[in-house]
Amino acid sequence: MSSRRSHSRHSSASRITEEEINELVSKLQMMLPDAPIRRNSRVSARKVLQETCSYIRSLHQEVDDLSEKLSELLASTDTDSAEAAILRSLLMQ
Amino acid sequence: MASVPSSSSSSPSQPKTRKKPGQNSSPAPPPQTKWRTGTQERLYSRRLVDALRATRDRTQVQESVGSRAVKEAADSALALTARGQSRWSRAILFGRNSCRRKLLVKAGGKIRRHRRKQHGVPPVAAEPGVLKEQKVKERLRKLGRLVPGCRKLPAATLLEEAADYVAALELQVRTMRALADALSAATVSAPEEEETAAVDPMAIAEQGS
Repeated sequence: MSSRRSHSRHSSASRITEEEINELVSKLQMMLPDAPIRRNSRVSARKVLQETCSYIRSLHQEVDDLSEKLSELLASTDTDSAEAAILRSLLMQ
Repeated sequence: MASVPSSSSSSPSQPKTRKKPGQNSSPAPPPQTKWRTGTQERLYSRRLVDALRATRDRTQVQESVGSRAVKEAADSALALTARGQSRWSRAILFGRNSCRRKLLVKAGGKIRRHRRKQHGVPPVAAEPGVLKEQKVKERLRKLGRLVPGCRKLPAATLLEEAADYVAALELQVRTMRALADALSAATVSAPEEEETAAVDPMAIAEQGS
């Protein structure tokens, strides 16, 4: 642990080691929804990047759908019930 | 090399501070945990609500709030919640608010306005072996196009930004879905009164014809 810290300190962000890249790739891999626990062995970086791209794209799509839904909802509700609903959702967090 | 057990275990809170004397700054919490704390969710939902309300106040009665406006408000709120600590959030905020400085002030002045490349020139010669494959480079370029403001970054920075961005997007989706559910629950109860009022004249009109 300490050796890695001092190592990165020596390189001072001008030289990126393969180890750091692998660490970042595995961190990304763990965030993907596709059962990160199963992939204990190292998946190729190419695949992780590809899945990350498609995952980001699907998240963008969801955001678009949700914003459309939200805009419809905002248009149809009047102010009071909208405010009440918003407060309710905030309190439930 | 021993693996760092910070985020792989099921602890939802931030990892304990490991303050060693020779450390530059405290290590940033990994994106998975950072964006999933309750405070972040509440912060973001509050900001989102404010942004949506501001958007609705701006558009008058005639035009309804467009979905694009909602999405932009959501993205700006998300970038604000990031407090300008990541490149994609800065890219979003600076792209939108070239004329509006209020949002920057709202963030508490915590956004550093560095547009130049920080920490020197990105390395060209010292790329590790994984990155020299052609396909990996292609994927990296695709990723750079998806994350806002990250087209020309070196690989490691891009990967960090992507991880943070993915976690933030997940938060955005979760919050928006909760908000939509709450709003639709409200709309189910409200128009019932209007419908019962509208049905009567319709029925009378049908009987009359």
